[in-house]
Amino acid sequence: MSLGQALFMGLLQGATELFPVSSLGHAVLVPSLLHWSFKQSDPSFVPFLVLLHLGTAGALLFIYRAQWVELVRSFFTAALRGNIETPSERLSMLLLVGTIPAGILGVFLEHELKSLFASPTAAASFLTVNGFLMLGAEVLRRRAERLAAAGAQTRIEQEERFAVAEQISFKAAALVGACQALALLPGISRSGVTIGGGLMAGLRHQEAARFSFLLATPIIAAAGVLEIPQLLSNPVPLGEYLAAAALAGIAAYLSARFLLRYFRSGRLDPYGWYCAGAGILSLALLTFRP
Amino acid sequence: MRGNTLAMALVVLAVVFAVVAGLYAVGVLQFLVSDPHASHHYTHAILFGVLAIASLIGANFARSKGTA
Repeated sequence: MSLGQALFMGLLQGATELFPVSSLGHAVLVPSLLHWSFKQSDPSFVPFLVLLHLGTAGALLFIYRAQWVELVRSFFTAALRGNIETPSERLSMLLLVGTIPAGILGVFLEHELKSLFASPTAAASFLTVNGFLMLGAEVLRRRAERLAAAGAQTRIEQEERFAVAEQISFKAAALVGACQALALLPGISRSGVTIGGGLMAGLRHQEAARFSFLLATPIIAAAGVLEIPQLLSNPVPLGEYLAAAALAGIAAYLSARFLLRYFRSGRLDPYGWYCAGAGILSLALLTFRP
Repeated sequence: MRGNTLAMALVVLAVVFAVVAGLYAVGVLQFLVSDPHASHHYTHAILFGVLAIASLIGANFARSKGTA
């Protein structure tokens, strides 16, 4: 992989990890459509992905640094006391409950799912499915808005009729967390399905995005940290990889900032249409290209 | 009373998870692993360690409710 390709992949991964458009799907599809020779499934590619994930996790930790300090403190306080008293303590326990199903499914199914569906055609198909899932989530949300926010004058007022992350049930947190495991399928977006799941649980769009990002941080960071031995055991062009990781981190930081602002009144629809369109177009290109 | 029973069940579950974590860490367990020839499965061990801690936290919550 050349330096240009490494930087491009870093930028692509950092941006698509948080935008609800599937980073894995794009990372499988784009090199294939550009006729680049390297493959995500290649073992020599793992150290590169590890660093990109650490870059993204670093950006998320930086954005929510104050909140994570408070969440960790609240977690230990509530765990030792055996009782939840503050919204922050509740959120820390919701994140634990949401992380467990994703962790179990990820550890036991990751290898099988990735090797089964690592082809560009599968990624394009799941990207299309991802688009329709998000569009479907918004259809259901609009129905809920007609009931819950009938008298609201503006989109912001309409959104304020829905809950913040600290208020959802533990069952809903577990379901949203389990949705994360769908992202093991290339083309299904982690943030897309968790934001969609958050909307189903009655969260505001911005809160669904915040819960999704908080939920993603331990999983992305743990996946990166656990693969560090592979990084150290293989001879890699560390300078190129670190530059790509830094670019991934910057792209992830800017993406998260943009999305949190966008979801104050924005919806998943544009991303849903993009995924459905890009998936169908990719399927056509992969089928009919010479 | 019900809370205390649940707390006890969760403590037992935590012990089971901790033992499974240990078995994965030393390479005795090879169930549902991507590379059966690897001697240690730290990812699986960490997962079961987290489940053991989560069970203990759940037990503490159930105990508090049982005594309340």
